[in-house]
Amino acid sequence: MKSMNLSDEQLVEIIRKDNQELYGEIIKRYNQKLSHYLRKFIYDQDELEDVLQVVFIKVYKNLYGFNINKKFSSWIYRIAHNEALNHLRKYSKERISLDEVEYKIIDEKIDVSGDVDKKILKENIEKLLKKIRQKYQEPLILFYFEQKSYEEISDILRIPTSTVGTLISRGKKMLKEELKKEKIYGK
Amino acid sequence: MENKNFQKLENKIMSEIKSGKVKLRSKYLFIAEKLGLESAFVLSAVLSILFFNLFLFYLKATDNLEYLSFGTNGITAFLESFPYLLIIGFIVFLFFAGYLMTKTDFSYKKPFKYFAISLIAIIMIAGSVLAYTDVSEKIEQQAFSENLSGTILKPFLNCGVGLHKNGLSGKIFEVSDDYIIIEIPSGLQKVDLQNLRSEEKSGLNKNEFIIAIGERKDNVFIASQIRIVDQDSMPMIRRGINRSIHYNQINPYSKRNRFLIQDEDMKKCMNECLDLSEYRRKCFDSCDVE
Repeated sequence: MKSMNLSDEQLVEIIRKDNQELYGEIIKRYNQKLSHYLRKFIYDQDELEDVLQVVFIKVYKNLYGFNINKKFSSWIYRIAHNEALNHLRKYSKERISLDEVEYKIIDEKIDVSGDVDKKILKENIEKLLKKIRQKYQEPLILFYFEQKSYEEISDILRIPTSTVGTLISRGKKMLKEELKKEKIYGK
Repeated sequence: MENKNFQKLENKIMSEIKSGKVKLRSKYLFIAEKLGLESAFVLSAVLSILFFNLFLFYLKATDNLEYLSFGTNGITAFLESFPYLLIIGFIVFLFFAGYLMTKTDFSYKKPFKYFAISLIAIIMIAGSVLAYTDVSEKIEQQAFSENLSGTILKPFLNCGVGLHKNGLSGKIFEVSDDYIIIEIPSGLQKVDLQNLRSEEKSGLNKNEFIIAIGERKDNVFIASQIRIVDQDSMPMIRRGINRSIHYNQINPYSKRNRFLIQDEDMKKCMNECLDLSEYRRKCFDSCDVE
């Protein structure tokens, strides 16, 4: 069977048993996704590459710590998430960085609407996402920008699924309120 | 990141893996970590149960709660003999068990508050149930033994049988007009009765158990209120006294069961007097202990 046809979990099982070279397939599958996710927190390209490398090495070293009955993608995102937070803590940084597509997602899905200048909107959403508490920020990013399900977010952040829904809905509300305060939305 | 960079990163990581610089951590290490975590959780929960059980036992077996029967005057004595260390131990292990619980698979993704409430309820119920067994008494025995467990456990229970500034309880050993001598777990204590009403003094007889509030001044406890109590209402004090007597019988020259006198000359006088098998009251008067 070709490694491409295997699920993440099956791949992990094979890597753990005897074929460590197959780990390259895991890196291929996740480097773009994790890089996209980490960019929300780390803007500098070199720093991002360093953190990504640490994440893949940590994942490899701890493969036996992964429970094969759970979802691998959630596990690897959790490690990436923790590493990103460690990095921010270490360098005392607070950064949310959205790309062109992402601020449109915010605009459409969170319905911040309208005739507002898109450039201003993007700058403000980045700024406002930073303003809301991390507790609400993380599920918003994972849900809207990483397209993770409630179940996956629950796995990544280790919180009950019901709480994920609550945090997302409150986060949205806070974002809208902040936009109103900044007079960008709901004039 | 461009594809070229992704490829570079992959090659770099794979070359480290192939060269053996980066290795898989052994699965036994993860098993050991998991077992260690779960064992630490169980141990913390069990210790928390034991501390709660000892706290209940302490309230039941010492004079601590009895001081509240004196009303507001007894509050100082109550606070003085309160088992703070047991409460601290209980809270520390409870928090530690709660923290470890969040790290185990057992509570994975489940709401912490329900688990925390359940943990507290289970620990309190188990501790209360344990209070009906003789576990606490056995721990008490260990605490006052001379071995290692005694050294570890003694500080937690010692305030139940130790000396307090504003409260006192023990067994009457000798009765005089203005004072009594009582046996307490740490020795013999003169209790001054001059501040008491005559009806309070009159009912005091040898071998009765009393509880008093007042103030300790040097070697004498000056009682402001006194009450006869059932010896079964504070069994830890009774056992403390028995231990002290037993100790004194096997070590007749031990200083442990002499009068609680801080003045060295007075103490020497009393001990010499007692060694001559004189009556304690006579020794008390001849050595001018006040």
